[in-house]
Amino acid sequence: MSGTPAIEAARVSATLGTTEVLHGIDLVLSSARWTSIVGPNGAGKSTLLKALAGLLAHRGEVRLFGEAEGKIPARIRAQRLSWLGQSGTGEASADDLMVYDVAMLGRLPHQRWLAAPSAADRDAVERALRSTQAWDWRDRPLGQLSGGERQRVLLARALAVEAQVLLMDEPLANLDPPHQADWMQTARALVAGGRTVVSVLHELPMALAADEMVVMDKGRVVHHGGCDDPATHTALEQVFDHRIRVHRVADQWIALPK
Amino acid sequence: MKLRRISSLLAAAIGLSLCALAAHAFDVVDERGTTVSLPQPPQRIVSLLPSLTESVCALGACERLVGVDNYSNSPAAVRALPQMGGGIDPNVEAIVALRPDAVLLAKSSRVTQRLEALGLKVLVLEPKSHADVQRVLGKLDQVLGTHEAPRVWRVIDASVSAAAQSVPASARGKRVYFEVNSTPYAAGESSFIGETLTRLGMKNIVPAKLGPFPKLNPEYVVRANPDLIMVSVRSAQGLEQRPGWGGIRAVREGRICRFDALQSDVLVRPGPRMDEAARLMAQCLVDKGQ
Amino acid sequence: MHSAHLRRVVLLGAALLVLGVALLLFGLGIGSTGFESLLAARHDPVALQIVWDIRLPRTLGAWLAGALLGLAGAVAQGLFRNPLADPYLLGSASGASLGVAVALMLFGGSAASTQWVMRLGLTGAAFIGAVLAVLLTLTLARGVQQTLRLLLAGVIVGVVLGAAKDLITIASADILQAIQGFILGSTGLVGWSACAVMGAVCAVCLLAAWALAPVLDGLALGEATARSLGLPFGAMRAALVVVLALATGAAVAQTGLIAFVGLAAPHLVRSAVKTTHARLIVLAALMGGLLLMAADLLARWLIAPQELPVGVLTAVLGGSYLLWLMHRRSSRGGLS
Repeated sequence: MSGTPAIEAARVSATLGTTEVLHGIDLVLSSARWTSIVGPNGAGKSTLLKALAGLLAHRGEVRLFGEAEGKIPARIRAQRLSWLGQSGTGEASADDLMVYDVAMLGRLPHQRWLAAPSAADRDAVERALRSTQAWDWRDRPLGQLSGGERQRVLLARALAVEAQVLLMDEPLANLDPPHQADWMQTARALVAGGRTVVSVLHELPMALAADEMVVMDKGRVVHHGGCDDPATHTALEQVFDHRIRVHRVADQWIALPK
Repeated sequence: MKLRRISSLLAAAIGLSLCALAAHAFDVVDERGTTVSLPQPPQRIVSLLPSLTESVCALGACERLVGVDNYSNSPAAVRALPQMGGGIDPNVEAIVALRPDAVLLAKSSRVTQRLEALGLKVLVLEPKSHADVQRVLGKLDQVLGTHEAPRVWRVIDASVSAAAQSVPASARGKRVYFEVNSTPYAAGESSFIGETLTRLGMKNIVPAKLGPFPKLNPEYVVRANPDLIMVSVRSAQGLEQRPGWGGIRAVREGRICRFDALQSDVLVRPGPRMDEAARLMAQCLVDKGQ
Repeated sequence: MHSAHLRRVVLLGAALLVLGVALLLFGLGIGSTGFESLLAARHDPVALQIVWDIRLPRTLGAWLAGALLGLAGAVAQGLFRNPLADPYLLGSASGASLGVAVALMLFGGSAASTQWVMRLGLTGAAFIGAVLAVLLTLTLARGVQQTLRLLLAGVIVGVVLGAAKDLITIASADILQAIQGFILGSTGLVGWSACAVMGAVCAVCLLAAWALAPVLDGLALGEATARSLGLPFGAMRAALVVVLALATGAAVAQTGLIAFVGLAAPHLVRSAVKTTHARLIVLAALMGGLLLMAADLLARWLIAPQELPVGVLTAVLGGSYLLWLMHRRSSRGGLS
């Protein structure tokens, strides 16, 4: 498993409306690693993530564990790859669903048609809700939760899929620092268990805590390297117009505005 | 002697039984083209169209009516009958509860299929023109077994002719505009009302090629400049104030006949009261036409 | 405990079912000839016919039509993710009216057209009109992919077909009353065959909607998320539109355009229990049936032997309950 890269992108280009948003991206993401994607606003990070998840029409090829993504049946792909979108994109209608039901939606790829949730499904949902500390509110409707609490439920939904690859777009939105730290621990545990995590992050200290970092600017990949690599730090500072500086503090990399 | 008596009795008996047979099961074809077989002339009739109610009564079978619609108001006797609803919502349950032998209704009625599904005999008849009135009278005659239609029609026809005679020579040939409602919808030459006007010797500003009840551009009426306007009281509100209408001959000379609700009913319904309608119009011509 | 929530759902469903049966039996005694018909039914064949052939199928028909409308309303609100959606959004109401108008106009026309209309019936014409209107909407919107385009196409089709119906009504003025009767809605023309048709369509649509409900839940989280869950998104959505068209068409064909049931029933269910779409659709069907049946009984009873238009009563009943809910919600401070 560690031989085949989890996701490979070759010459991936995408257009939104009339604007070309991704320009021929070539990317290889190894499995059992945590990769963070960073870049200024409008760099195309979310678009790239969607293209990698197979949710966006694109030119070029994306391979999932060596297989062409377009050829994998949607259900199988959904079992192997879990995607969490940016929160606040059209979920107002989920307000009436119970937290438990929302998390259970993550098990859809594994459930047979018309089948009731199995014991395995229920266990997976419980694990996911507990890992984001949302288990206690499983009987509350989503609409009654605060922004951060909602985000944790949506995270649990993505975790409940128990897929090999997790693609998460700004998973820390609205989360307070303790829960951001929880998320990081979850990501690390998943990677330790052999899964692949790819996350688009605005929080640079969190992004620098990953294994690898992809730096994007204006629809292109500017740099892809280890988070400890000084070349990565230089690329990061450069892409933000040298308005930030990467420092080592208390065994962690952080980025501070100059 | 005895033989002749026996044979004449036998002949009478055969004759009577033949008559009895004739009084039983017969088929009628209504305006849908459907053949309705009636075991005998219906004795309990529900009518859901005012003109059919009037036709039944004109043929002398008024006492056989057990229910009518909300709009049937003539003759006065039918006002005491139970009402089955208006055109919009005939009450199926009420109709069935009256156990009618036959239900008479118009083409556009929605309950036809439902009533037939419940086992009632339904006859669709709808008179729309002068010829229709005679035809429907004849058909009802056949259904009711009354043999009155030819006589009734002769009387109606003669009355209409008499009304036509009473129209003064100076009023004849004048051009009339008959307004049905204030949209304006007019009664054209080919409508029932138009036919009556023609028989009275009048001209209609709406020719037959525009259809029986065309929705006119008010400008048309102004250009046509009728000599006489016939209108119902409700629709006549503000007629003289309509833009440009002050110049119409009929308006200038005050030749507008306004008919009240009851009179409008008579004028508009194609039925056996068409002679009354003709008389109403003739009276209007006498009053305002010369 | 999650099972407590499930118990609430089941309780609500059972309550709606029991109330429905109770009203059905109650409806046997209501009509223009009053309760006496029920008492006389044993020895009077006409009274028996009234109770068995007229009142029972009418009341049952109201239940089924309400169930179809409630089901369609829940599907519409899930599909468009809009709590103001109702079953008539895709033009089916205008299509059905146009179908009836055309049928009435052709009825007196020629012998051939009269035969056709008689065979098809006004209900057949209304059903075909409703389904064709939805197909037209789908064609205009070029598929179900974009919700906003679908909504817009539905509005356009509704307006255009409505105008066509108006033109026909102007041309043949004597069908105006019949059309108005259809638009106001009534269960007065529902017999056993109509009940059978509605029952069959209801069963099929409920099963299909139950199977397709996961896509509505997924849609609640956003279209991209729903697709990422591997559902055959486009196909399921198209299937749901078909369910919507069939259910609405069947209800409208038999009882005319009854407003508000499709809109109110899902809301009434959600005010009592919040659940996934599969259960919501079933409960909305039960609630819709109950709502329409209650309105129909009141319509027949309030001014007996005359009848009120049932659409007026559904608006009053459903509307006042929703108003009360809104008031309770706002007095509690924004959250239900």
